[in-house]
Amino acid sequence: MMAPGTEVGEGDRDYRLTLPAKSSKKPPPELSEGIRVRGLVIVSFWAVVIFLGLPVWLWTTSIHRARLPLQEMLDWADGKACKPTFPLQIAIEAPLLQDAEAAHLVHMTQHALDDLNEFSAHHLRLRLAKSLSSPSRRNASIPESQDLDIGQVFQSYEDLDDRDDSALTVRLRAQDGIQAARSALQSHSTILDVAYAPNQIPSVSSSSSALATFIANRLQELFAEEQAIIAYILSQSAAGIQSTSHSPYVSPATASGSREIRSRPNRLINPEMAARLASRMTRSLKYAPTYHITMSLFTPSASPSSWQIESALAEYLTPLLDSISAVSNFTVDTQVQLYATFSPSVHAPEHDADHGVWTLQEEDLSGFINAAEWPLSPSIGAGPTLNFVLYVPDQTTSPLVVKGSQASSWLIPQWGGVVILNAQDANTTSVGSTLSKEAIRPALLTFSHQLLSFLGAPQTPPSLPLQLQTLTRIRAASLLLSASSTMGSLARLTVALPSIAIPETVSTAVDTTLSHLRYTCNALKEGKFPEALENARIAEAEAERGFFEKSMVGQVYFPDEHKVAVYLPLLGPVGVPLIMSALKELKRMWASRKAQ
Amino acid sequence: MVIDRRKALLFGSATTLRLLLFFAFPSLPDLLTGRVEISTPVTSFKRLQEGLFLYTHNVSPYDGGVFHQAPLLLSLFALIPSSLFSPLTSLLYIALDLLCANALIQIAESGEAGSSRLFTSPRNELKWDGIAIGAAYLFNPFTIATCIGRPISVFTNCAILYAIAKAVSGKPMSSILALGLASYLSLYPILLLPPLILLCYDRQARDKKETPPISTFAIKYTSLFFATKVWFLYISNILTGGSWEFISSTYSVQLLLPDLTPNMGLWWYFFIEMFDSFREFFLGVFWLHLGGYVGGLCIRVRRQPLFIITTLLGIFAIFKPYPSLSDTSLYFAMLPLYRHIFPLMRYTFFAMATILYASLLGPAFYYLWIYAGSGNANFFYAITLVWSLGLSEIVADSLFAVLRDEWEVERPEMKGKDVRQI
Repeated sequence: MMAPGTEVGEGDRDYRLTLPAKSSKKPPPELSEGIRVRGLVIVSFWAVVIFLGLPVWLWTTSIHRARLPLQEMLDWADGKACKPTFPLQIAIEAPLLQDAEAAHLVHMTQHALDDLNEFSAHHLRLRLAKSLSSPSRRNASIPESQDLDIGQVFQSYEDLDDRDDSALTVRLRAQDGIQAARSALQSHSTILDVAYAPNQIPSVSSSSSALATFIANRLQELFAEEQAIIAYILSQSAAGIQSTSHSPYVSPATASGSREIRSRPNRLINPEMAARLASRMTRSLKYAPTYHITMSLFTPSASPSSWQIESALAEYLTPLLDSISAVSNFTVDTQVQLYATFSPSVHAPEHDADHGVWTLQEEDLSGFINAAEWPLSPSIGAGPTLNFVLYVPDQTTSPLVVKGSQASSWLIPQWGGVVILNAQDANTTSVGSTLSKEAIRPALLTFSHQLLSFLGAPQTPPSLPLQLQTLTRIRAASLLLSASSTMGSLARLTVALPSIAIPETVSTAVDTTLSHLRYTCNALKEGKFPEALENARIAEAEAERGFFEKSMVGQVYFPDEHKVAVYLPLLGPVGVPLIMSALKELKRMWASRKAQ
Repeated sequence: MVIDRRKALLFGSATTLRLLLFFAFPSLPDLLTGRVEISTPVTSFKRLQEGLFLYTHNVSPYDGGVFHQAPLLLSLFALIPSSLFSPLTSLLYIALDLLCANALIQIAESGEAGSSRLFTSPRNELKWDGIAIGAAYLFNPFTIATCIGRPISVFTNCAILYAIAKAVSGKPMSSILALGLASYLSLYPILLLPPLILLCYDRQARDKKETPPISTFAIKYTSLFFATKVWFLYISNILTGGSWEFISSTYSVQLLLPDLTPNMGLWWYFFIEMFDSFREFFLGVFWLHLGGYVGGLCIRVRRQPLFIITTLLGIFAIFKPYPSLSDTSLYFAMLPLYRHIFPLMRYTFFAMATILYASLLGPAFYYLWIYAGSGNANFFYAITLVWSLGLSEIVADSLFAVLRDEWEVERPEMKGKDVRQI
């Protein structure tokens, strides 16, 4: 396309006219004025090329590579920058014991615990709580008439705060008439009640105690699953490092070193446990800052056509979502779909006369969701979607259960959960074609359990607050590792592809990620897990943002040979006349100098 | 008086023709306004109306990213009462055409084309008079289509023609002011500054018989030019309520080509296909290519500055970022001034046939691509290539003819003989 234009340029430059070739007469010599003008014209074109073209070229095609702290990033990825530890504070309240006794008991229990624990990163630290009751106990010696002064009230508030820090409170209570100690975990708080016979209190001089061993075992049992999960996450990440250790930056020595560090937890997990954890990990969803929850009511007939989902959600689900909000945010939407039929591949329910129920075959459960016709969108907006389906079977095929297990709910890995709400349960509480709040309560409770397992919360211990705390730690650990490995990938990518641009935004994102990773690591060390999670979330978000920076990805696949293809077609037609005329002119100048 | 009567007749008939087209075919203006050959993103009348609507409703006209024209135009069009908007703008555009023709007649009558200060063509006698040149402009179908389609590039053209007319009548001050207005309205006329200064200088040197050194003259008028520009920008700043937002949506749109609406030029297709990472580089290359001719032409055709301007206008019509028919019509308005070199041009038939071919097939191919869906972008791009080929043929050929004309003064014995470039 430049050809016409260059013709203009060339026309005024190399303009010399002479007779046609058939005339043998030599053309008269050019005027010196003409030569001078031609030289000036060539110089003027070259001036544009050199003084404007070259700077433009350098300026617009230079690849901006912001400096990244490569070594630090790789250190994080290799686990050298931070060895996450999970010190759990456990407060022991022993209001009835003397201070010295209590301290001794705590000391012995700690010993027993340390003997039991094989996984050094995750350990329990006992401390004696200055419990609310203990100051008042001491105050008991003070005359009753004297009121508690303000300072003491403050003191007790601080104690409260103190207790917030600890993962679990063990409340020791003496109980007459029992032989051995027994314990009960409160399911809605983080308190473990331990009842012991008064004679079990070890004397200050004794070196072993059944009570201490009992408490230690009980605690170890409570946190066994969490330890296993964390060990599993850490070992998974170590395996990831091994598979990427052939990068130029990781020498074999450091790779094997890190393997050594990380392979220790492996001993903790027996193969059976590992398989169980792996299946749970595949079932649960990848972490996202926001999840969408879609609640759907499906029915093959025209009724029920509505449900009191709004109030039911507010009552049964929202409190749970609020308490997990430190981990992830949730948005909820609901839908009702009438005349929803099974997909043709699913066998029709069979009647089981023995139990008076209709049964679905277990192998059909995976195809139960009619993906082609049921409007369950795969994803809305940024985060992944969790689908919870409430299926109300037709009157004629009710009650409907799964053959064999007689279960009426199941969970589809990475996708959501299904609950079949059988009519006779519903009949009692539904008014006309509307499912009442009470009718869908059991379904929502099932959904809540399913939701927790999708988020990766452990099954034990049975106390919900403890589960959520565990979830916090697990998420903090996995986000820490995932952000670290993203940093490592980014560093290796930067080294491997010297031609990609690294904008300032990436450098900023890396800096933010690293600083938040440091905060996370320190917070974990100090046992401030909510803070650690908060920082890990920021780190993960920033790491992803830096790694998937759009302007960086665009140039990844642009080898140097392509540049020739880009430059040549356009610059060739412009460049050839420019270079040829410059050469011709230089030749002429050379010749004339020689002639002189 | 005879001449005045002819002029009146010319203007009268041109006005009648345009009024007839405006009012006898009421759908024609809107049809032409929508054509890509006439309206580019930076000159479109529709976008002007959009900006005007926002402006009169106290919204910043540059907010929507649609309006890319200078703020002064807004205040001009805001003066027109909205009840009579359509007829009055028609009259305004007709008046602009007549002004252009008037300027052209002035340029023609100055005789600058045939005989400048440093050079007088041996074919000086062969020329058309001003009325004929004005008629060639006013009855050029491209000009008429442009007038009916009402792009704002008509304002730029008028300012450029006035800059030239003032320059040849020895009024460098008004000439530079007019060029300042032109480059305020649409950036690219800034490239005309060097040849225009040469023209002003030659004209003044010839008339006054006293020659100040050209460097001081150039510095004086260059600074005047930039002062004019700054003044216009300052006024615009006041008009838009003290914001400089308009600069990024007017000039940087022309510089950086964010809007790739198809037009008759060569840029849009190229930048659609270009890898993103090379976009800035090739923007630089294209602009340098456009500007690179100025220096070479000013040195080589120094003796005929008016011809430098003419050729540059031709180059702009081919290579500028958003070219339209109105740029071509401006070049075709200037070209008849060089009637005396027409016999020396070698490919007139080929070039004119190419132009005709492209102007007939261009709309057809555009229709096939956009409306019928039976063609694709390559159809239209191919025809714009042919169009540009035709135009560049004329530019190159006229340049050849002028150089040969100059050469024949040097070597009179070669007159009329066949020559060859070596």
